[in-house]
Amino acid sequence: MMNQAPQKLTVGIADMKMLQWDGELITFALGSCIGICLYDPNVKLAALIHIMLPINMEAGRKNTMKYADTGIRETIRQMEARGARKARLTAKIAGGAKMFEIAGGGNLGNIGQRNIESVRMNLRREGIRIVSENVGGTVARTLSFFPATGQGQIRAYGQPLIVL
Amino acid sequence: MEIKNYNELTSLEIDTLREIGSIGTGNAASALSVMLGRNVRITLPEVRIMGYNEAIEWIGGPEAITAGVMVRISGQMTGIMLAVQSLEFINLALRSMLSEEIHDYDELQDLERSALVEIGNIMISTFINALTGLADISVDLTVPSLSVDMQGAILTVPMAEYGGQSDYLMTIGGNFMCDNQVVPCRLLLSPDVRSLNFLLRKLGVLE
Repeated sequence: MMNQAPQKLTVGIADMKMLQWDGELITFALGSCIGICLYDPNVKLAALIHIMLPINMEAGRKNTMKYADTGIRETIRQMEARGARKARLTAKIAGGAKMFEIAGGGNLGNIGQRNIESVRMNLRREGIRIVSENVGGTVARTLSFFPATGQGQIRAYGQPLIVL
Repeated sequence: MEIKNYNELTSLEIDTLREIGSIGTGNAASALSVMLGRNVRITLPEVRIMGYNEAIEWIGGPEAITAGVMVRISGQMTGIMLAVQSLEFINLALRSMLSEEIHDYDELQDLERSALVEIGNIMISTFINALTGLADISVDLTVPSLSVDMQGAILTVPMAEYGGQSDYLMTIGGNFMCDNQVVPCRLLLSPDVRSLNFLLRKLGVLE
């Protein structure tokens, strides 16, 4: 087989992509959204989900990757179909920031916090351990995830690179 | 007929919203003109209905840094209004208001930040006043808030707010020209679907 240059896949909003062995998964500008990295080290299969909201209450539940609950569940299913084992999966999460400080803004600024809680709860329900996280705060994050090592990287405006 | 999603708008309804955008942005330009003591006009206003990732490309990519002033609308209409200010626009404002310029967003201190909040607030309020006068409705506005960060994350604020209702972001708004030069500053109004129906009915275009 020919050697190919490592792939770099961009994960959009309400989107999920998987890569195995090497390459890079990247999702840009996570504000209140959360990037969830799921990883099976035995088969070096990595998935990155970019969710926007905590719970899927849509009729028909079509857009699975927009929500923490259906996004996590569907991603586990697709990873298992590619040879991953749920018992081996670990998670790293980043995002859930509050971009604007609004006095009396109701639940507007709390979407990030609600996302964080929903992601943690859904991962716990699936029995997946969060090995590293960088969540909350007030800054946007760009998240990279590398299947070769299972390592994540976070870039934020005006801050040094963070290893996740 | 009531719409259930932004992509169901008819061309008549979109034309009406564009007219709202034109009047709102025009009023904001007049206010800006008085504040800056310069001639300010508007470019052709737009009504856009975009998928999330399409919207991020439209604003100019996810990672570029920008300054956004946000106001939340409640009352008879619910929505979010953003003034997205480029560095060029910021310098135009700071030159007039504080006689200074910056080279990067990280030079924005408290004084500059409050000047940007104020200018964004006046533009947003003027836009909303024109809209509510036209449609004969009343709304409340929150205190404005500023964020200087990646523009993709700023734009996902209205997306996340109405993400449970729609896979689309709708924006009504326009850009500004100062002394015949385009100075990128977008005023973006994102109403929720219910308010959009209400607004269109008030304006007499929803059957």
